[in-house]
Amino acid sequence: MSEYPRLQSLRRINRVMARYYGQRQVLARLRPLAYVTSGAPVEILEALGILTLYPENYGALCGARKASVDLCRVTESAGYPADLCSYARSHIGAVMHPRDAPLRGMPRPDLLVCCNNICGTVLKWYQALASLYDVPLFVIDVPFQHTTPAEDHAVAYVADQLHEFAAWLETHTGRRIKPDKLDAVLARSREAVALWQEILAFGQHRPSPVNAPDLFVAMAPIVALRGTRRAVDCYRRLKAELEGRVARGIGAVPGERYRLLWDNIAIWYRLYRFFRPFMDDGACFVADTYTNAWTVELEPQRPFESMARTYSGVFINVDLPARTRIIAAMARRFEVDGMVMHVNRSCKPFSIAQCDVRDRLRDDLGIPILLLEADMCDERLYNEGAVRERVEAFLEML
Amino acid sequence: MKTVGFLTAYVPEEIFHAAGLTPVFIFHTPEDEGRARAHLPGFTCWIAGSALDQALTGKLDGLVGMAMAQTCDTIQGLADIWRQNVAHIPLLHFGMPLRLDSPSTRQYLLAELRSLRGRIQALTGHPISDDALWQSIAVYNRTRALVRRLYARAPHLAPSDLYALVRAAFRTPKETYNEHMAQLLELPLVLPDLGSRRNPPRVLLAGCELADPVLLDAIAQAGGRVVGDILDLGERYFAIDAATGAQREPTAPDQNPLEALADRLLALTPTPTKYRPSSDRITQVMSLVQERNADGVIFARFKFCEPHGFDYARMAHALAQAGVPHLLVELEQASQAGQLRTRVEAFIEMLA
Repeated sequence: MSEYPRLQSLRRINRVMARYYGQRQVLARLRPLAYVTSGAPVEILEALGILTLYPENYGALCGARKASVDLCRVTESAGYPADLCSYARSHIGAVMHPRDAPLRGMPRPDLLVCCNNICGTVLKWYQALASLYDVPLFVIDVPFQHTTPAEDHAVAYVADQLHEFAAWLETHTGRRIKPDKLDAVLARSREAVALWQEILAFGQHRPSPVNAPDLFVAMAPIVALRGTRRAVDCYRRLKAELEGRVARGIGAVPGERYRLLWDNIAIWYRLYRFFRPFMDDGACFVADTYTNAWTVELEPQRPFESMARTYSGVFINVDLPARTRIIAAMARRFEVDGMVMHVNRSCKPFSIAQCDVRDRLRDDLGIPILLLEADMCDERLYNEGAVRERVEAFLEML
Repeated sequence: MKTVGFLTAYVPEEIFHAAGLTPVFIFHTPEDEGRARAHLPGFTCWIAGSALDQALTGKLDGLVGMAMAQTCDTIQGLADIWRQNVAHIPLLHFGMPLRLDSPSTRQYLLAELRSLRGRIQALTGHPISDDALWQSIAVYNRTRALVRRLYARAPHLAPSDLYALVRAAFRTPKETYNEHMAQLLELPLVLPDLGSRRNPPRVLLAGCELADPVLLDAIAQAGGRVVGDILDLGERYFAIDAATGAQREPTAPDQNPLEALADRLLALTPTPTKYRPSSDRITQVMSLVQERNADGVIFARFKFCEPHGFDYARMAHALAQAGVPHLLVELEQASQAGQLRTRVEAFIEMLA
């Protein structure tokens, strides 16, 4: 087994994220703090100077630090069934037993903001949080797009709620939203998203300077710091480093032989270890559907309407043909030789129709596709032997 | 008679009825040929798996369409899969909003109802008149009133009989159901032989679908009675009527039948996939326990159901604090009937 070149900017991103969590502990005493879902229109909060934390990101952190199983057990002993989302079980366990949780849990929120454009589970998770913390909850209902593009009455419904949401935040924090501040935040958000898109596009190079596990680490700022200068700064550095790799012909996987596409959320407790046999065989994951979920653009002219449209059309909120088209286009653009789909017990919107996506793409693209059952955080659902066997068989097929 | 299938507790059946169709709920069955497994992952609930299996094995070929409302992630995914694999039974999706409380909810819901009406018209090739909708609302209100009268007798009925009659409301043409149920309710109350216990334990049911026959039977065998429920397709489904054409005239002459349907859907006690801060389901269960003088609560949860799974934990906590005994049973296609029976019987014995 050889050592693989590591991206220096990832260390910086990890440091920025550690500081982000650390600072929140202190700043939360001075400014209102909201817990938000990963697909929420965070720009409105950012424009009001409200601090944000992402329980989903924290769930991923618990998974990566192998703390999830113990925390899930805490949640289960409080009566939550073991087949619920493992981000939610990890986080609720951390709320109940912060002493045993990474970073000793997150600081107590003043507000909860739940947007269902990523799943329906977040409603239940945030209702549980609202009763655990006894703080106000705002729910933004973003209808699933059964046809693409979104219908006008659905976009109007979301835009109306965003106005209602802004007023709700003003009432609860006593702060006033300033249009120029919102414009500035949206501009930074757009800049971060544009940089993130450029970073994802580096996977098109041969060899690819970046592998999916790198992106799973690198994605934290686009989730949690979108709309801030720090996100822009992190991604400028990462982009420069990737440009350097391309110029020198350095690949994330030296001697790249196969180019693969990853579908679904990462397996956080096996982040690099899972990908190791692929790398040892010269296979690089040049694209994935998870980190691609934040490639949305915002128009500054009509901020609420444009946010409504953008946040309605995120990858897992659109119909199956649209999702399949997006994956097929990625497979072609990144010239992949195969695909691995993580059938993630914890994420129904991502996982439920994967068999159909596989059947369709196998016919259209003529590439081997591996469906692999696991879970993003709950290690008890990971069958090491079965995974190894199936991965080996898949690599043979390539 | 043309029949349309449906899933979820939020399909406005009246619009289908007004189009001359008979909506029937597609209940899950233990018979399964395993065809859905090629499309759905192992962590999908029995309800979705069974509906897809029935469709793929031709058991639903008589349906002219299949309706589903926006509820949970599983049904959302099933709708996607249905469109691609059951093309001969067109899917009619209805975008029931998650938020029941926002100022824009009603407007969005009305647009969805208008869209559904248009798609049903396109399916049958005939317009659906307002008059037909008012008539269907009256027929459905009659059904709802009859089912409420049936529930009022619940403590005197065998649980399996009660739910066989409620289930029939989801499977029978409403005119037929109304006629027979009205006759049945005129009959003098005959207590079934449920054993000799003087004060049978009084149980509430919580969960999604109308409880499992094995479960109901076990409650009866142990001498228990069901005195009410907070099932998605149970009492709450029949609790509220839609305003009728006659009611609208003095106060709101411009109200159209779709508004009457929208207002009913919004007024119902929310299922766990919906959100209205002012009517918390946990509070509802607690007050139902008081009101019905229940001795215990049985949660019948379908394995892998997230909305009910999260609610269960919060309800169980509230019940435990109030000292109300409760039992969780998990339903899945491979459930062990013997084990379920033993646990339910032990629970009822404990309440007695």
